[in-house]
Amino acid sequence: MNCQSAGELIPLYYYGELSPEEEDRVEAHLYECTACAREMEKQRTLAAALDRRHRVPPPMLLDDCRSDLMAAIQGGAPRNVQPSKGPWTLFLEAVGFTFTGFAQYRQPAGALALIAIGFFAARFTGAGMGKFAVQPNGQAPVAYNASMTPDNDVFSTVRSVQPDSSGRVQIAFDETRRRVITGDVGDPSIQKFLVAASSEENPAVRVESVGLLQTRVGSDEVRDALLNALAHDANAEVRLKALEGLKSRAGDPMVRKTLAQVLQSDDNAAVRVQAIDLMVAKRDESMVGVLQNLVQKDGNSAVRLKCEKALKDMNASVGTF
Amino acid sequence: MAQDAAGAVGARLSPQVDSLIRAAQGGDQDAFEQLIRTYDQSVLRLAMNLLRSPEDARDVYQEAFLRVYRNLHTFRFDCSFHTWLYRIVTNICLDQLRKRKVRKEESAVVETSDGPIDRMDTFEEDGAESDPERSMWNGQLKQRIDGALQDLTPRERMVFELRHYQGLRLRNIGEMLGTTEEAAKNCLFRATQKMRSALGDFV
Repeated sequence: MNCQSAGELIPLYYYGELSPEEEDRVEAHLYECTACAREMEKQRTLAAALDRRHRVPPPMLLDDCRSDLMAAIQGGAPRNVQPSKGPWTLFLEAVGFTFTGFAQYRQPAGALALIAIGFFAARFTGAGMGKFAVQPNGQAPVAYNASMTPDNDVFSTVRSVQPDSSGRVQIAFDETRRRVITGDVGDPSIQKFLVAASSEENPAVRVESVGLLQTRVGSDEVRDALLNALAHDANAEVRLKALEGLKSRAGDPMVRKTLAQVLQSDDNAAVRVQAIDLMVAKRDESMVGVLQNLVQKDGNSAVRLKCEKALKDMNASVGTF
Repeated sequence: MAQDAAGAVGARLSPQVDSLIRAAQGGDQDAFEQLIRTYDQSVLRLAMNLLRSPEDARDVYQEAFLRVYRNLHTFRFDCSFHTWLYRIVTNICLDQLRKRKVRKEESAVVETSDGPIDRMDTFEEDGAESDPERSMWNGQLKQRIDGALQDLTPRERMVFELRHYQGLRLRNIGEMLGTTEEAAKNCLFRATQKMRSALGDFV
């Protein structure tokens, strides 16, 4: 394989879309050619930069879409009827998005709107929040607080309104607020956020959080988050970071069980190669079968060679009889 | 390997989705709503990232799921529901993208007296970007990426979005777009090459 044909296959190699034979040829070339190995590195950098540019729709936009759709279906409204304005549209209008001819005011208007949201949101946290009784399950408010009207909360969505015979009413609503917290990565409460972030939809958030968690794999909760990322994340960068983080727990039975699964099912050869490294870091008899199976069945030559070497180092037979 | 929660593989394996479809086909409104909720987040994400406008994404959402509602009785389980749904969604998005090409692409970036701002950035949690140099570099990179994405043909952009961000396999993507896996491969290759040359010194 020459550099030109390798260059043409690198993007598809990155996305795991080559046949096992093509993958073998690219890998053999990348091993020998530093220029193409650099190209591969550029492909990874490009993918990481693009990950950071991905947008996740705000929950309230999704809520608006859902209620518009259900209204259209239930009302039998034709498609061209303009749906009623939901909170998201009102917010966009408030920050000037749909104004025409006032483009120059969009940024200051947006800034003012965000300051206003911050102000009202702050009223609902700390002492203000303490006044607002929430049921133990944390779902429905049980007491009315006059200072907290829905008008103040741009992000709230009312889910149900239930009047009772005494003239009182129970209103259940969801709130979405943005908050910023800062703290040490070693802080358990920060780690809880990172664990939650490791399964967020935004790949950039997952890469960052798993990258941070990999240095703090002391607790079982963090280990489980990394195992979950390794077994299920769609992004290979996240899975590689999770593997990196699990190095210090290579002997842990849960880790070994997941590694065995990853070796059988992960479609990315780089992940499989790293998983073998981790598996052989703590040797045990149960891994022999897994490695022998890979020698026979894995479609990638680098993976097969690595397994062969590991088995030889253990004085185990390469084949099964 | 792993895909979107509502990805083709998951959908094919889930008997729950099948029974929701059958119930919805029989007129059960709650089942229809549940079915939509299984997939609508990824549909909205796709539309918003392709069209870079919440208003247009909202239109795509509405049109796509109304079509699903009106045509669900024609779904015969001969492909995964995810593929069937995405055929509808990708068609609507491609139409929008093509119209925009004719109108010279509406940019998400608007000129203001303080310089260009990207209205989509309102959704991003940039956090405190305290290093001005880094912030400027990131800003330039964002602009360059947006420019590179806009220079892709609608089909290249669609294939790239589905493969890179939604994690779908090219075989499925080909099925959704009514083309071959090979054609989807070529699209992905061209898209990547164009972006690499547009981002040049950044990557």
